Amino acid sequence: MIKARWKRGIGAALFVAMAGGLTAGALLSSPAVADETCQSPYMAKIVGQEDFVYVWTLGVEGVGDGQDKLVTVSVNPKSSSFGKVVSSVSVGGRNEAHHSGFTDDRRFLWAASLDTNKIFVFDVHSNPAKPKLTKTIKDFVRKSGGVVGPHTTYALPGRMMITGLSNNKDHGGRTALVEYTNDGKYVSTHWMPTDQNLHGAKKTGKYADGYGYDVRALPRLNVMITSSFTGWSNYMMDFGKMLGDKEAMKRFGNTMVVWDLHTRKPKEVLDVPGAPLEVRCAWNPNHNYCFTTTALTSKIWLVYMDEKNKWHAKAVADIGDPSKVPLPVDISISSDDSHLWVNTFMDGNTRLFDVSDPFHPKMVFEKQIGSQVNMVSSSWDGKRLYFTTSLLSNWDKKGKADEQFFKAYDWDGRQLKEQFAIDFMKAKLGRPHQMRFGAYSLYAEKAPNSQTTLADRR
Amino acid sequence: MCAHTIMAIRSKKWLCATLLFALALADPVIVLAAPGDYRGGYDTPDYRTQSEDLLMRKGSAADLLGAVRNPPLGLPQVPIPANNPISATKIKLGRKLFFDRRLSLNNTMSCAMCHIPEQGFTNNEINTAVGIEGRTVRRNTPTSYNVAYLKRLFWDGRETTLEHQIWAPLLSHQEMGNPSPGAVIEKIRALPDYRGLFQAAFEGRGVSMETLGMALASYERTLVSADSPFDRWYYGKQDKAISVSAKRGFELFTGAAGCSACHKIGTASALFTDNAMHNTGVGYARTMQTMPATRKVTLAPGISVDVPTTIINSVGDARLADLGLSEVTQKPTDRWKYRTPSLRNVALTAPYMHDGSMASLGEVVEFYNQGGFFNESIDSRIHPLALTKSQRADLVAFLMTLTGSNVATLVDDAFAAPVGDWREGDPEWAHSAVRNGLGRHEEDTQ
Ligand code: HEC
Ligand code: HEC
Repeated sequence: MIKARWKRGIGAALFVAMAGGLTAGALLSSPAVADETCQSPYMAKIVGQEDFVYVWTLGVEGVGDGQDKLVTVSVNPKSSSFGKVVSSVSVGGRNEAHHSGFTDDRRFLWAASLDTNKIFVFDVHSNPAKPKLTKTIKDFVRKSGGVVGPHTTYALPGRMMITGLSNNKDHGGRTALVEYTNDGKYVSTHWMPTDQNLHGAKKTGKYADGYGYDVRALPRLNVMITSSFTGWSNYMMDFGKMLGDKEAMKRFGNTMVVWDLHTRKPKEVLDVPGAPLEVRCAWNPNHNYCFTTTALTSKIWLVYMDEKNKWHAKAVADIGDPSKVPLPVDISISSDDSHLWVNTFMDGNTRLFDVSDPFHPKMVFEKQIGSQVNMVSSSWDGKRLYFTTSLLSNWDKKGKADEQFFKAYDWDGRQLKEQFAIDFMKAKLGRPHQMRFGAYSLYAEKAPNSQTTLADRR
Repeated sequence: MCAHTIMAIRSKKWLCATLLFALALADPVIVLAAPGDYRGGYDTPDYRTQSEDLLMRKGSAADLLGAVRNPPLGLPQVPIPANNPISATKIKLGRKLFFDRRLSLNNTMSCAMCHIPEQGFTNNEINTAVGIEGRTVRRNTPTSYNVAYLKRLFWDGRETTLEHQIWAPLLSHQEMGNPSPGAVIEKIRALPDYRGLFQAAFEGRGVSMETLGMALASYERTLVSADSPFDRWYYGKQDKAISVSAKRGFELFTGAAGCSACHKIGTASALFTDNAMHNTGVGYARTMQTMPATRKVTLAPGISVDVPTTIINSVGDARLADLGLSEVTQKPTDRWKYRTPSLRNVALTAPYMHDGSMASLGEVVEFYNQGGFFNESIDSRIHPLALTKSQRADLVAFLMTLTGSNVATLVDDAFAAPVGDWREGDPEWAHSAVRNGLGRHEEDTQ
């Protein structure tokens, strides 16, 4: 009873999205200048003490102005404003603020939003203490041809590579990478490979779901690596409701894709079941691998290139007790590739794994940061760690366990010592999410003698 | 790569799945009218993706006016209100509106983000709908196929006409989040790509509460779908149109199993609904049941764990009760009564029931076989059926014959509809448009 109908003229559409690759050879030869451990290697780096942490914060209905905002926290112990919020820029409405990233020159911070698909561009160089909203990209969905949920904003030379999480057709997980110039012009859309159209990639396992999440580049290997999460319907849904929804739980990403950085073409689709999220690549030029963690199956995965230049993905360690769904979220690799911080949202813990043998990570430290925890950012020297709590507005814990804070710690190799904490709810700011560092030294500037805090100005 | 076998297969997810499996995915296949991210078999370790490419989600416009004037075999004439005669321009305008995400407060939700064409004009990926800012909607999204024939709209039957119905999602804080009817109207007025469209469709009348409803309703009325294998067998007298098993299922459906008492089949046409309200116990169970201590949660293909309910509750809001018709009438005797849904295209509209609690037609038939979920005011027509396993399979086989022959055409047409997303020059939200003097009040002739 199957009625089949032949459809002509679609073949041409197969190859449409394969242009890309406009920034050419220079990528390959540029030296990998480094930065605080999870940043793009193309970016200027903070050599010493960071002065500020920019916290991309979600507005909460009924808390303060209820809007998303970029909150600047002063973190240099030498500053008179140490431990204080020195600036807060509200952007209008709730947009599901999530991740942010600098342009390669580190003069602008692109803060993306998963719900309304707006990208807020802040000037962070004119006055690192007071970022200024200079541009808002509002037509991302239309320009990109239907990509929803801009997530990672990742610096490539002169370009921002933006991962999507969803699309405007079914709000599911199929999506694309979208490329913009540093001055905010749309360049191209690179769709994730699907079974129907692998875009030239090889499906190495059972899955080619077309989902997206994070992106990282290994310029010396001419490789870009993406991970996969879930679509709008799930990441915007009440977390408890979703866990009880059997259909929804089938809509998670189970793949990572290895791309040709130069041509922007997908090369291989690797099976990494259970929603692989953050991608952190090794810094050592001889280390041809990246780590990720799978949110649902609670494992550390190693994505590595073998001697024959072939890429593999391998589960190398469990994180906590996977049967309790601890939900590993943000991870942070040390600049010498020896250690990996792993946060688990459900128990509010941070764990440190010794990954000097990347195939056999060993947990060497564990500490509860709060009733819930999401992001972790480390200074380049590994001595300072910053934590925030919010995962997604509708996934955060409900009731009293919904603590929302920014906490700064010192790490001496054995213990985490809290330096200060800011309660973002008490301060009527909202839910703190991703953190990026700022420093006067980046712009060959000296810190002013004294700084006003938001509290001073009130 | 270009020499792929590209096919459009109509209906029947399970058949598609079997077929795809048989092809071992050697040739990527376009399964028009099927969801783009089909995940059948996900709970088994040998699950394989069958994802379709969004770049290839392209279609061509169909003759919707023709379809609504001559409904397919098995359906009666489409009822059209005297004050809203159907026309091609209204349909086209309604279709544009249906897919326009700018109709929500923050430009993220269109009607079609919940009533997704290739997912049976419902959402196969979630049990109950998710609205603006991710807000919880209590109920499962019903299909838009054949809504023209419904005398009561919504699961609780609270609305009567398609023209009026639109204001519920448009103004709901949970769905499209618009602050007021005026805000919606002013926003559409200020959208450059709507300039003149209402005037052309409504004899010079601009966008208003009335014309907006009329345009959307006109498009919805065209989504009539029948001429299914069942129709060709039963009304078209084509003996081979359905299987022997499905014929036995029909005998049960109209006989021993008593389904057609509510899911009506007439002599010349069949709506598969009596447009009436009944308590089958689904709502009772949902509202009154206590949660078990653990719940099975799928984490990845073939991997699931029993998660303590306390953990699930720590990250979730309390589940909202649902009283059905009683919420409309306040009568205790109306508790947990819902409008009988049509079963046309039911193979495409999983998950089932007002709360999306049943994943498959097999599960639905099990439910009826055990006598629904017993409660003091359960409909007397719902009682244990004692059907054998093969009888239950026959019933499912019958339900699978209800997929209309024009599904692929309607989905193809929907793929050709423009998806409305914000662009430079559009208002950001209604009040700013008014303040900037962009609203064009003069067109309103009412
Ligand atoms: C957030 C998801 C969502 C959006 C957006 C949405 N709907 Fe619905 N729709 C639903 C749900 C859920 C129901 C059932 C609600 C109930 O019964 O209370 C429904 C019911 C309906 C019904 C009644 C169908 C029946 O069987 O009774 C119609 C008609 C309809 N919607 C049309 C529309 C139109 C037109 C729009 C856009 C203006 C729209 N919907 C937007 C989710 C949505
Ligand atoms: C007393 C009237 C009545 C009878 C008899 C009845 N149904 Fe239903 N049916 C309903 C109502 C009402 C619903 C919606 C219930 C809800 O969502 O809570 C429904 C829902 C369904 C659905 C889900 C449709 C969807 O889109 O979610 C299916 C399938 C179905 N019935 C099949 C059957 C079959 C098969 C039989 C016979 C074994 C049957 N029904 C007998 C009234 C009836």
